[in-house]
Amino acid sequence: MRYNWTDRNLKWMYILPALVFVLVMMLFPIAYTVWISFYEWSMSAITPPAFVGLANYMDLFKDERFLDSVFNTFYFTIVALIAEMVLGLAIAVLFNRSFRGKNIAKTLFLLPMVATPVAMGLVWMLIYEPTIGAANTILKTIGIEPQLFLASMTQVIPSLIVVDVWQWTPMVALILMAGLSTLPVDPYESADVDGATAWQKFVHITLPLLKPTIIIALMLRLIDVLKTFDIIYATTQGGPNFKSETLNIYGYVLGFQYFKMGSTSALLVIFFLIVMAFTLLLIWMKKRLEAA
Amino acid sequence: MNKKKMTKFVLAALTVLVLLVFVFPFVWMLLASFKTQSQIMSNDQTFVFTPTTDNYVNVFRQYDFLKYIVNSMIVAIVSTLLSLLLGLPAAYSIAKYRLQGLGLIILVARIVPGISFLIPWYIIFSKLKLVDSYVSLVLSHMLVGLPFIVWIMISFFEKLPHEVEEAGAIDGCSPHQVFRRIVLPMSGAGIITSSLLSFIFSWNNFMFSIILAGDKTKTLPIAVFNFMSYAEINWGGLMAAACIITLPVLVIALIAQRYVVSGLSAGAVKG
Amino acid sequence: MKKKLIGTGTAILVTASILAGCGGNDAPAASSPASTASGSAPAASDKPFAGQTVTLVTANHPWSEAITPLLPEFEAATGIKVKVENYFEDQLTQKLTVQFTASSETPDVFMYRPLQDGRLFFKNGWIAPLDDYAKKDADYDFADISASAVNTTTIDGKLAGIPIITERGVLYYRKDLLEQAGIPVPKTLDELVAAAKKLHDPGSEMYGFVARGQRSPLVTQLASYLFSEGGDFITDGKASINTPEAVKAMTTYGTLLKDSGPPGVLNMSWPQAFGIFAQGKVAFLTDADSLYTNAIDPEKSKIGDKVGFALFPAGAAGSKPVNVTAWALSINERSKNKDAAWELIQWATNKENVLKTQQKGNPGARNSVWDNPEATKTFPEELVPIIKESIANGVGHDRPLVVAVGEARDAVGEVVMRVITGDKDVQGAADKANANLQAIIDKDSKR
Repeated sequence: MRYNWTDRNLKWMYILPALVFVLVMMLFPIAYTVWISFYEWSMSAITPPAFVGLANYMDLFKDERFLDSVFNTFYFTIVALIAEMVLGLAIAVLFNRSFRGKNIAKTLFLLPMVATPVAMGLVWMLIYEPTIGAANTILKTIGIEPQLFLASMTQVIPSLIVVDVWQWTPMVALILMAGLSTLPVDPYESADVDGATAWQKFVHITLPLLKPTIIIALMLRLIDVLKTFDIIYATTQGGPNFKSETLNIYGYVLGFQYFKMGSTSALLVIFFLIVMAFTLLLIWMKKRLEAA
Repeated sequence: MNKKKMTKFVLAALTVLVLLVFVFPFVWMLLASFKTQSQIMSNDQTFVFTPTTDNYVNVFRQYDFLKYIVNSMIVAIVSTLLSLLLGLPAAYSIAKYRLQGLGLIILVARIVPGISFLIPWYIIFSKLKLVDSYVSLVLSHMLVGLPFIVWIMISFFEKLPHEVEEAGAIDGCSPHQVFRRIVLPMSGAGIITSSLLSFIFSWNNFMFSIILAGDKTKTLPIAVFNFMSYAEINWGGLMAAACIITLPVLVIALIAQRYVVSGLSAGAVKG
Repeated sequence: MKKKLIGTGTAILVTASILAGCGGNDAPAASSPASTASGSAPAASDKPFAGQTVTLVTANHPWSEAITPLLPEFEAATGIKVKVENYFEDQLTQKLTVQFTASSETPDVFMYRPLQDGRLFFKNGWIAPLDDYAKKDADYDFADISASAVNTTTIDGKLAGIPIITERGVLYYRKDLLEQAGIPVPKTLDELVAAAKKLHDPGSEMYGFVARGQRSPLVTQLASYLFSEGGDFITDGKASINTPEAVKAMTTYGTLLKDSGPPGVLNMSWPQAFGIFAQGKVAFLTDADSLYTNAIDPEKSKIGDKVGFALFPAGAAGSKPVNVTAWALSINERSKNKDAAWELIQWATNKENVLKTQQKGNPGARNSVWDNPEATKTFPEELVPIIKESIANGVGHDRPLVVAVGEARDAVGEVVMRVITGDKDVQGAADKANANLQAIIDKDSKR
């Protein structure tokens, strides 16, 4: 068979444009961030950055607030991810059947994700407001003591997780629904012949077949949950008492409220490595899964 | 009631419950957009109140909201289309030739914390005189949308049966034609899902837009903040603006949903 | 291998052309640079800057809303074109920081918070000193701008900005509730504590007192308590938030919120504090006078007609509320049009326009305007004498005067957080916070 040049080099012709674009957009910012992370600089136009070696990194590891923010980030991420994946899968399966008004239902379901995060953060702030918010009004009607939610040092992260789950479970469900729609019909038909229950079919057919899609959804969510910014910034700004301060929020504070460009960059580099490590772990899991 | 009917009822009830939970804050937002400031802050007027349309009138009278809608549309549509143009072939190449390593480089764009881009980009784009231009906004939003599209589509392309491609080759299609004429039409659900999400990410992007947009190219999320000021938060205006922001994406989602369903039922998959 | 390389090269070319293609499509929208001085020659000598474009970046603030409609007058009078952009305050700082760090020539004129950002902006060389400009035109009457306000915007003896908005700490109270309970308006902090306790009835959702409880935002409001008790954040260059006066002030503020405040004060900044006050659920509120519309506007408040204003309650050192410049205007050091930029600032802060903006509810900094009854017509009648008295005996800062203001605020706020959460060892917390604040000051002196 004789293909023209493009077709013979399809592999590279297809991937290079995207690759080059991404590299061009990223290289300078990454290099800049890494470079500044070895300097102390308040962004001054008069005093140039002063080289401090690894001091910014050392200081961060001695900084309790940084260590707390690492903990908060993981706490938030792990709980939110589990909740979103389980709920998202359940909802994807629930919606994966024909019923009246399915289109409308699916569209309504998209609302939380579509609505501007900053505005929704403010809506949730009002809902959570202890004296005049809707959350306590609802709790009161079912006989539960009013709660402090965002104003409580222990409840603030769970409350924020609820917002994140509310906002992003639809995306997980949507990706999984698209995955479900491409599953082959044959295994289900033969399982029906064998008289399998719905649960058996879900565990033995749907889950294994859907695993690659689940991992993709997990990975995309993982990256975003670790980087959650808008809703925390709009509601608590990391408070009360830094108890909801995640790495991304602390990075923002260091950069744009404390004007410590070096520390910010060091934090961003560490943050990047953390996210990268988790992503690689998931990719490795996916590969192992495919090999099996 | 027999078992089948029972199951059906439980499923329907569950569906409604799920929808209610997810839609509630939004309903609250919609209601709030028709309330006055003091009605919003009060908890005895959640559902029963005298509605006012002042908030919406203000949104359009005080601020040039139409301009912001147009700006957001241009940036979101162009960045999504370009992301598809670059991303679909890349995803296909990664899936077909197992180039996960290169795929990871593209994914890194999503991993880098957004704050690290702000100052370097501003330096570059201001040197190129591209601050407050659609070009810089589109490019920056593409860095959010492209990795997303690539990574969702990889898993779709991987799942395609090889037979289809082989059949195409036997029919005399070149690999490029196989991709264009056979693979793409079969991937409707994935393409629509990923571009919908890419559109939404661009539509709601705040961090990049605040730095790169200016007077001419200001997008909606930034305009929403016009209702928060040092001296007051105009809740009603804010909620009205939030509703307006959400509406276009809703309409697009509704249209796209139909398209997914019709595409599937047309039998493209079995083709 | 060689083939591969050629392939790569071509692919890059293809990509480049694709990128160029889409760039080209968007180009017309982007490539309309603002007309600058080079285009049209000055029309007349009285309009030396005609044809220049000045960009003005403002915060979302009633002041911006008041000045923007007046800009066409300025443009007509000078021939200078003004481009306005406005942002919410945090985004304003972020945007300005990025622009200045990238050595941007825009904006020419910007609005900033002198006590929060002023020192850093100035020491970073981002702000052009305005001393010479301010004295250029005698008609401008720079001396008319309140000395204490100018003091706030002066750094290292140089004028960094022209004050536009001033504010003071005052006491908001519910006339009806006090009358019912037969309690006189508190004149001292002790009376306030007692009255707040008496009116505090959480069972029926009535609370005695509210103010900012978020760690960093509360510091500026705490300042009035601190000064009135005779303390300060920094005394003679040394951190002084562990003195008996400071501990007393922080204990009073924190205890008021803890014992007489509504639930959830830890996550309250001014919007939440005013929100719950406007709902009629709180008897007392201490915050800035410039936010008064949130309490009295019937659109926003259920109890608008029942709100009273009082001078900040006296502590051991009398009533010493903050009296500060909340916002000022300045010029970007890298601006190419500094003279035209000054024209804009001078116009926006001349007597006539300060009067106009003040009539729209923006307390300004000009003495002559405060003396003009026209200027305060729209203010609540009883608030005006309180403002004037607060100007007379107020203190010109509301947070530690250091470059690293953000860190310093968090250090101070920590102590009040401890009080609110019920920590008994306030002195210990204050000692620790004082050491932190001292470290920040020490670092400052090395800059």
